[in-house]
Formats: sequence, C-alpha cells, structure tokens
Amino acid sequence: MDYWIEPLRYIAFGTGMTVMLTFGAAIIGIVLAVPLLLMARSRFTALRGLYHAFVHIVRGVPTLVWLFIAFFGVTQIGIVLDPITSAMLTLGMIATANMAEIYRGGMQAIPAGQWEAAHALSLDRSATARDIIAPQLFRAVSPSVATQVIGLLKDSALVSTIGVADLVFRAGLMTQNYGNGLVMFAFAGLIYLALSLPVGALSRYVHARITRRYAVV
Amino acid sequence: MSVPSMSRARLQSENQAAMNAPYLTAESLTKTFGEHRAVDEVSLSVPQGEVTSIIGPSGAGKSSFIRCLNLLEVPDSGRLRIGDDALQFGGAEPRRSEIQAVRRHTGMVFQAFNLFPHLTALKNVALAQMRVLGRSRKEAEDRAMAQLERVGLADKAGSYPGQCSGGQQQRIAIARALAMDPDLMLFDEPTSGLDPEIGAEILTVMRELAADKMTMLVVTHEMEFARHVSNQIVVMVDGAVIEQGEPDKIMSDPEHQRTKQFLSAVLGR
Repeated sequence: MDYWIEPLRYIAFGTGMTVMLTFGAAIIGIVLAVPLLLMARSRFTALRGLYHAFVHIVRGVPTLVWLFIAFFGVTQIGIVLDPITSAMLTLGMIATANMAEIYRGGMQAIPAGQWEAAHALSLDRSATARDIIAPQLFRAVSPSVATQVIGLLKDSALVSTIGVADLVFRAGLMTQNYGNGLVMFAFAGLIYLALSLPVGALSRYVHARITRRYAVV
Repeated sequence: MSVPSMSRARLQSENQAAMNAPYLTAESLTKTFGEHRAVDEVSLSVPQGEVTSIIGPSGAGKSSFIRCLNLLEVPDSGRLRIGDDALQFGGAEPRRSEIQAVRRHTGMVFQAFNLFPHLTALKNVALAQMRVLGRSRKEAEDRAMAQLERVGLADKAGSYPGQCSGGQQQRIAIARALAMDPDLMLFDEPTSGLDPEIGAEILTVMRELAADKMTMLVVTHEMEFARHVSNQIVVMVDGAVIEQGEPDKIMSDPEHQRTKQFLSAVLGR
C-alpha cells in the first residue's frame, strides 16, 4: 500500500492547478461575456457582426487547436507565453464565447413586457439592467452556467498536452515512472468526478432557491 | 423637453368654458409597422379628470395607439402634448430626456400585467419610486403599502407575483403605476387576460380611480365599463378614429355603419 502513497499524492497535488484553471477561466468567461452580450444586442450591425464572428470562430475550432496556437503558434510572431498563461487565455476565451451565448439565450427567455414595464415606469437603462433584467437573467442562466463550468473542468485536462502540471499531466508522469496507468488515471478521474459534484450541487441549490421564491410564474 | 409656452394654470383658465381642459392631445399620430398602418392619423383629446374609453374590433390599432402615447412605440408622424410637454414626430428621433418627461406623467397598465417576477409585490411598487423619484426606501415602501391597500392587497405585500392570481397581479400592477403619482393612467386592455369574474375586480378598482378624478385612457372590450364609467368613447377601426362622443350617444345611436356593426357584434352575443 505504501507503494501507492507517493504517486497518488503527487497526482492529487495537481488538483490545485486544475481548479485554478477551471475557475479562473469560468470567472473570465462570466465577466467578459457581459460586454460581449452588450455587443450582441447592440443596435450597430458591425458590433453584432463582430460578436457573431468571435463566437463562431472561437467555438468552431477545437479547444486543443486553440491551446496549441496559444502556446506553440504565437512564438512564431515573437510572443512567448508560459504554458499556464497559454492555458488560462485559451480556456478563458472559450468560456467567454460559451457564456456569452448562454447569456444571449437567457435574454430571449425574458419577455419584452419586462422592458416595457420598466420603460413605462421611467426607469433608466442602468436601473432596468441592474434591477430588472440582470436578476432574471441570472435565474435563467444559472443551470447552464454551472453545466458550462463542469465542461470547463473536463476541458482543462487538455492543458496537460502543453506541459501544465494538472491532474492528467501528473497522472501521466506517474504512469511513466511507476507503470499501472489504470490506477493513476482512474485516480485522476475520481478527483474530476469529486470536483464536479459540488459545482452541480451548488447550482441545483441556487436554482431551487431562486425558483422557489418565484413559485409558478 | 418641457415646453413652458403654456403653463397648466393658463391652459385650464383658457378652457374653463369647455368641460375640462384636455390633459393629453394627440394630433394626426401615425405609426406604421412595415407596410401596415397600425395607427392612421389619429387625433384625440383626453380631458383632465375624465375617463376616455377606446373601443373597436381586434387589430384596429387601439393598443398601438395607446403605446404611442407613452412612447413605447415612437410615432412616425404627428404631434403629442401631455401636460406641459409637447413632442413633434417625423423629424429627429425624440431625445431620451423628452421620452422620459412624457413617461413621468403617465402610468401604464398592460394586458399581461408585466410585473417583475423576481420582486415581491411591495418591491414591485416601491422600486421605481426609489430609482426614478429618489424616494428613500422607507418612504417608497410606505407609499407602496398605501397603494396596495388602495387596491385591496395589503396582505399580498410580501408575495411574489407568481404566488398571486391574475386579478391580484393586475391590481398590483395598477398600484405600481399609481405609486409614481401619474397625471394620466393608460390602460391597455387591462381585463382581457382575465376571467370575466376576475376582470370585475379590476373594473371596480378603475371605477374608484375614476371617482377620484384620475385622468384615464382605457383601451377595452368591456362595454359596460365604457358606457357607464367613461365620459367619452372613441371608436377605432383599421387604425383610424371613426367616431367619438358621449357614451350613451355612441352606444345607443351610433352614426357610423361600422360602429353599428361592431356594437351589434359585441353586444348581441
């Protein structure tokens, strides 16, 4: 049994990196998707076009390809990024595009009457956005955002390919040193599973809380 | 834009001879959606302290017209005067400040209630008072409570809209509009989404408002209300006003053939 303690401990220490990349990217996405949503709903065609181009390009190219571009590719134009920075930028960009699409879908779930009522009450734009739209958008998108965070958690495994010492990278390293890849990777897999559980639980808790208050709408 | 050319006092003294001075005057308002002329050169006045009902078949442009009055739809052309504010359409887009000035005078009640589902009844009524009128939370909530009492729903203050019946939601919506101290209340088919029995409780609240001399413009299919509560009935067909006048006259002896047709269809059921 002692034989396993060292390698498994080494793998488990990758949890911090995986969590940091996942939640770092999630926060980047959750925040940057807001200005992107404003672009998507702009009255200027050019801005809306830019939005759709961004989302289409980011989502149309595999994450692994973006990761390689951000790490290997950019060195050719004189930009040298360390693996963690490349990983963060890539995952953050993908999270931003996905969150923006989630927000955009969520906005469509809010009836036009909500804006009309806000207008009729003379609420200005910022009050309408802050007090009327944002809380309803939050309610509409919270389950999809949680799903997206779990997706990011799993996608983060790709960063092992550019040498970021996350769970998978470390499991690979230990397999090379100790053999027995089944145990090493199964252990890494269990940690992913364990990480995704609280995200899902939190999401269900938040959603249940806010929808219970509204009761039947 | 507040046009100080006519103070309200002067306006009233000028029109003292007539019944009541118009609080709102629309002149040749026109609104087109694509090829469709939803509102076609509509002119009408809403006298201060009186109730004006707009009736007519579905698709006649009644709702589009009333939505033009607080600029939820911006008319393509025509003129609008509400209180001391005057707007001319057809040239430059109205500025946001001009739109806000008009909306500050008017309260609106929608067919679909449009309450904010994430806020309690009390907060629904208090929010805009705080954000727009700058009232403190305490003052806004006190006044909200008073308005909820007025519509008979003080006990629902802590409930969310989803926990209230349709009729209760509409009464909360009325309280929400009243809390902004409007000079004119616009009702866009306030009972159409409700069972007749529930609609009656809304009409009761509206009758009380009329008795308090609130200036009201009501788009409605409630012929009893139009006849017995309003001071004036306006008949709209195909985007245009075809007839207007005293309720009894319009109801019992309409001049226009299309009005007769409409009335016999709705009353003959």
